[in-house]
Amino acid sequence: MGTADIIAGDTPGKRILLMGNEAIARGAIEAGVRVAASYPGTPASEIMETLASVAPKLGFHAEWSTNEKVAFEVAAGAALTGVRAITSMKNAGLNWVMDMFMTIVYGGVRGGFVIAVGDDPDAHYSSNEQDTRFAAFYGEIPCLEPADQQEAKDMTRFAFELSEQLELPVMVRSVTRISHASGDVELGAIQKLDRKPVFDRHWKMPYRWNVYGPPGAVEKHRWLHSRIPLAKKAVEKLPWNKLELKGKPRLGIIASGLGASYAREAVRRLKLEGKVAFLKIGTPTPLPEGMVKRLLKAVKAVFVVEEGDPLVELQVKAIAKDANCDVEIAGKLSGALVPVGEINTDIVADALAKVAGIKLREDKERELVRAEASKLVAPRSSTLCAGCQHLGSYWALKQALRKAGGNVWIVNGDIGCYEQGGYGLFAKAVKPSFSTESVRYLIDTPYDTLDTNYIMGGGIGLMQGEFHAGYKDGAIVAVAGDSTFFHACIPAVINAVYNKARGVFLVFDNSWTAMTGHQPNPATGENAVGEQAKVLCVEDIARACGVEFIKIVDPFDLKASTAAIEEALKFDGFAIIVSRRICTLQAQRKKKFVGKRIIVDQSKCTSCGLCVSLGCPANTYKDKKGGIDPLLCNGCGMCAQVCPTEALRAE
Amino acid sequence: MSEINLIIAGVGGQGSILASHIVATAAIRDGLRARVGETFGAAMRGGAVASHVRIGKEVSAPLVQKDGADIVLALEPLEGLRNVVKFLAKGGMLLTNTHAWIPTDVNIGRAEYPSMDSITKAVEKLGGKIITIDATSLAQQAGNVRTMNVVMLGAFAGAGKLPVSIETLKQVVRENVPPKTIDANLRAFELGFDVVKQK
Repeated sequence: MGTADIIAGDTPGKRILLMGNEAIARGAIEAGVRVAASYPGTPASEIMETLASVAPKLGFHAEWSTNEKVAFEVAAGAALTGVRAITSMKNAGLNWVMDMFMTIVYGGVRGGFVIAVGDDPDAHYSSNEQDTRFAAFYGEIPCLEPADQQEAKDMTRFAFELSEQLELPVMVRSVTRISHASGDVELGAIQKLDRKPVFDRHWKMPYRWNVYGPPGAVEKHRWLHSRIPLAKKAVEKLPWNKLELKGKPRLGIIASGLGASYAREAVRRLKLEGKVAFLKIGTPTPLPEGMVKRLLKAVKAVFVVEEGDPLVELQVKAIAKDANCDVEIAGKLSGALVPVGEINTDIVADALAKVAGIKLREDKERELVRAEASKLVAPRSSTLCAGCQHLGSYWALKQALRKAGGNVWIVNGDIGCYEQGGYGLFAKAVKPSFSTESVRYLIDTPYDTLDTNYIMGGGIGLMQGEFHAGYKDGAIVAVAGDSTFFHACIPAVINAVYNKARGVFLVFDNSWTAMTGHQPNPATGENAVGEQAKVLCVEDIARACGVEFIKIVDPFDLKASTAAIEEALKFDGFAIIVSRRICTLQAQRKKKFVGKRIIVDQSKCTSCGLCVSLGCPANTYKDKKGGIDPLLCNGCGMCAQVCPTEALRAE
Repeated sequence: MSEINLIIAGVGGQGSILASHIVATAAIRDGLRARVGETFGAAMRGGAVASHVRIGKEVSAPLVQKDGADIVLALEPLEGLRNVVKFLAKGGMLLTNTHAWIPTDVNIGRAEYPSMDSITKAVEKLGGKIITIDATSLAQQAGNVRTMNVVMLGAFAGAGKLPVSIETLKQVVRENVPPKTIDANLRAFELGFDVVKQK
C-alpha cells in the first residue's frame, strides 16, 4: 500500500510515520477540505503534493496555481462559498499574498480557510529567515504552531473549525524541521461534509465580501477586532496550550511550537524535570494570556524558547508589565538565545543552563580532536545534476559574454535550480571591494555566473533599473526558469517593452518546476493531479507582450546557444532567448540514457581542465586526466563539445 | 533500550532518506516512537544528505544532539566522516560503505578527499568504532547497484544495534522498494547482514 493510499484511508487510530507536510495534508483531508491550491516552495511543497495525490480519489479540487497569490485567492474564493479550503506556501510565498491576506480578513470567510506556511529558519532553502507568525499578528488572525508531526495534523484539522467559529482565516505555521521531518502520527477519522457551495452577498454583514461596500473598511476593521476576544477565549482551552506548574519554582519556560520539543529535551538533559515550570504554547498569536499571567505570577524568571523572531517574547514582556510582574525575561531579545539561524536542543540546553545557573562541563580535549578531524572533511558543494541542461545554458552564456558582453557585465539571477549553477558555490570567502568603478572579477570555478539574486522574478526587474540608471560598462542580462516566468516575470516583460529597456532575458525552460521536486507547471502539459493540460509557450507569451527579438535554442547545442546569445547581446533592444530542453532527470525517468555514450581516450587528454570547468558531476579529473563516472553520466554530450582534443568524444 | 540515535548519511540519490524511513516505520510498527529529521543542502542529487533517526519512548526533537549518535550509517565514507565529527557519541560506531562519491570540489582541485585510513584514525580518536564494507560491490552482487542502501540496512542489523526485530525491518523493506526489486533488495539485506556478522 503506497503512502497515497494510507493518507486517503479512513483508518482512525492507525499509527504511521508521516512527514510534517504529509501530516498537514492529512489534517486537511480529515477536515473534509474541498479546494486546495498552492505554488511549490521548499519546505512546503509536499503539502500540496500529498493533497494532489489523493484529490481525485477523495473528490476534492487540488491545483498547482501559477503563483502563491493566485493560489491564495483560489482557496479564499472557495471559502467564501462556505466550503473548506486550504492554501499552502513557503515563507517567501506569503509575501506575494500580502495584499489579499491583509484585506480578506476585514470580511473574513464563511467556510474554513487555512493558510499553511512553511518557514525556514536557517534559510536552508530560502532567501531569508522571515518569521511569518508576525504576518498572522499583522493580519490579526490566529496562528497555530505545531511542536511535532502529530500536532501538525491535529492542528490543521482543528484550524478549519476555528476558522468557521471565528469566520476568519487561520494560519498554521510550520518550519523546516517540522515540515521536512517525520514522526509517528495517529490518524483521525475523515469527515465527509458534502457541503453545497452557497453565495450570499450580505451574509451576517452588509456587503460582506466587498471591502468598500457599506459599512466600509473602517467598520469592517472594527468587526475584525470584535473577533479578537473570541479568539483569545478559544485559545485558553486548546490542548496545545498547556501550563505545568507545581510548587514554587524559580524558573519557568515558555516554549512555542518546535521550540517546545527542543525545550523538553533540554530540560531532560539538564535533569530539570519537575524543577521548572513549563508553559507549552501552540498559539503564538493570540497567546493564552491567562496561562502566561499565572506563570509570570508564580516564578522569578522565565526563559522563552521559539523558532524565528521573538513574537512570543515580546508579548510576554507586555503581559508582564500589564500584570505588574517583576520577572526576569530571557530569550532572543535578552541575548540568551541567538536571534538568527535556527535553534536546536544543543543551543536551547546551553542557554537554559546559563539561565538556570547550571555550569556545564566543557571537554576541551574533545573539541581539539574534533577540530583536527574536521580538517579532513572535504566540502561537497551542491551542483547541478549530471547532464543538466542548465550547464549548457551557463556555458553558452559565459562564452557569449566573453565575446560580446563588454567589460563588466551584470547577470541578474532568479529562483530555481539554475541558481545552484549561478553563484560561487566553490568560491572561497572573498574580501569586500570599495572600488568607485565597475570591477570585473575572474570566473575561475564552474558556474559562478550570477551577480544578483533575490526573489522570484526579481532579476528581470533589476535588469531594467540597471539599464535606466545608464549603466554602460557591460551587457545587462537576466535569467529565469519557465515556472518563474509564469509566476512572476510576465508583468516585468511587459514593462521592459513598454518602458523601452534594453537587455537580454534568458528563460531556462525545462518544462518542470524542478528545484522543489518536479511539480508540473503551465509549460509541462499536465496538472497537479496528472490530467493532461494545455502547454503554454514562453515565446507565445513574450510575443504577445510585444517582444521583438525572440530566439529558441537547445542548451545541449553549445555552439548554437552561444551564437544566439551573442546575437541577442548585440541587439539594440529587449531580447529573449528561450533555452529549451526537458529537465534531464525527467528525461531519465522516461528513458534511462539521454544521449550517446562518451568515449574516453586519456592519451589525447592535455589536462586543460575544460571538461571539469563545465561543472557536470559526471566528469572526473583523477590525476589531472579527464574521465567519466559511468554511474552518473547520461550521455548529454556537452563535455565532448567542450573537450578540444577528443579525449572525450560522443559515440 | 531507552533510546537510540542513528544518523544515515550519504549523497543525494543514494537512498539514505528511504533507508531512514524504513527504520522509523519498522520502529513504529514495533510500538515505539520515532522521529526522522532530514538535513540536506540543496535537496538535490549529488548533495550531502543526512537523516537523523531517533527511536525511543520520549523522543520529541527531530535532530540528534551533538555527540549523541549511537551509530552513523554511512552510504558514502566522506559523508560518514562529516557526521561522525559532529554527532558520533563516545563509544558509538561508524558503519560505512567504502565506495567514495567524489565531490566536484575535489574534481576541480579545491579540496582533497580523505583516505580511508585517515577516516579510521579520526573515528578512533573521537572514541568511536568503525566497520567498513564495500556495500556498492555487494549491491552489484545482489543484482542492482541501487540496493546499496539496503545492504547498509542489513549491515546495521548484522551489527546487532537494531532497535526493532529483523523480521519487521525486512517486511518494511519489502513494502517500500519497487516491487520488481524486492528479491534483489532482500538479497542485498542478507549480504550486508552476513558481511558484518563475519567481521
